[in-house]
Amino acid sequence: MKIRKIILLCLMVIVSSIQISIASESSAERANSIQTRINSVAFDILNRNKIEKRIVFVYDEDGKKNLLTSDKTLTKREVIVYDDMYKAVENDDELAAMLAREISFAIRSFDGVCNGFLRSLQVKAAPKKYEIVADKRAVDYMVNAGYDPVALIIYIQKTAPQLRFDMISAHNLTSKRLAVIYEYIYTKYPYFLKNNQYINNKYYQNFLLTSSANRKMLEYKVKSNSKEKLDYE
Amino acid sequence: MNKSLYVLLFFLISGGSVFAIQDNFVNTSLADKNLERPYYQEKYNYEDTASVPVKLAVTNRVKSEKDLYEGQELEFRVTENVVYNHKILVRSGTSATARVETIIANGMNGIPASVILGDFKVGDLESSRLTMEYEKYGMDLSLFVYPLKWLLTPLPPTGSCTNFIKGGHVKFKENKEITIYYHPNWL
Repeated sequence: MKIRKIILLCLMVIVSSIQISIASESSAERANSIQTRINSVAFDILNRNKIEKRIVFVYDEDGKKNLLTSDKTLTKREVIVYDDMYKAVENDDELAAMLAREISFAIRSFDGVCNGFLRSLQVKAAPKKYEIVADKRAVDYMVNAGYDPVALIIYIQKTAPQLRFDMISAHNLTSKRLAVIYEYIYTKYPYFLKNNQYINNKYYQNFLLTSSANRKMLEYKVKSNSKEKLDYE
Repeated sequence: MNKSLYVLLFFLISGGSVFAIQDNFVNTSLADKNLERPYYQEKYNYEDTASVPVKLAVTNRVKSEKDLYEGQELEFRVTENVVYNHKILVRSGTSATARVETIIANGMNGIPASVILGDFKVGDLESSRLTMEYEKYGMDLSLFVYPLKWLLTPLPPTGSCTNFIKGGHVKFKENKEITIYYHPNWL
């Protein structure tokens, strides 16, 4: 009787360990396939934009962006893609949008005094200014790499929360960022708005719904042929 | 039965399109414009290491503060012959253009303004083999501001006063060259 119990216990241990190993294997496979997808899109962006700087991309399944840890994008030129960021990505255009923004930050850490140390410090000292710069550069990188820049609007619309005000914040209002991106695409790459493949996308529709005041401002600017910088809400 | 299904399908499809907000501003302002998808290089091969410097200078002096806007075409002239394999590819004096891609305004703490140029067109050289972007900075004062800020930190609020020192604007002068590179054998 006792032997039977021991055998049963052993069997249970063996079965559960097999289950655990299968689960960890499938989790590793998933991480590997995500990492491969990230690398494929990211290196297309780097190569097609002829970016002569070394940047690597790491998928972090468990980690979350922590405000207290140093930003490896600027210190090690290593773009960490957290699962929190990745889970909102639906297609390659949106993945390219996310990566292109990070690449534009990483690139700023190469040139200048002390091999880019001072420039990295400037990015950290003026995050609001460089947030807009990263958005604009991301649009350029996406277009040069063959991706649709409208996906950047969709990705930000889905993921970035709306602050109450940005006067004393380190970030711009998301609505302001989206309006700047929209204007940038309208001015430089109007093809993508005229032939908008995302016009019926529910997130893009939500952007249109929530941005009518800002788009009115742009409409007035275009009609009046003004070159002034708009103060979006 | 079939008819009612078709009617139902029609209403479903038309209903969907009625609820979608149309971007009327884009539809009206870009309707008569014939736009092509921007070119992108699908295939690439960077095996070859040859690169030829192309020196350019603006034809008219410009300043980032008031003369430039994003998307603007800036006019340049080639200041030296572009030579590859003892053959002149572009003669000195040939006109060239570049597009102002992004303008970064100067900021507090001595952060300089910068202008990113792209889409270079130089004579008969293929644009896809030229440097993709070139960034020109204004005077960077942050190297002076940060140490000063740290020195003044024990005497509050003098350290914070250094925040108000702004960096320089970008100036393109007729006698100041910028150098981009032409890679004759890149795909």
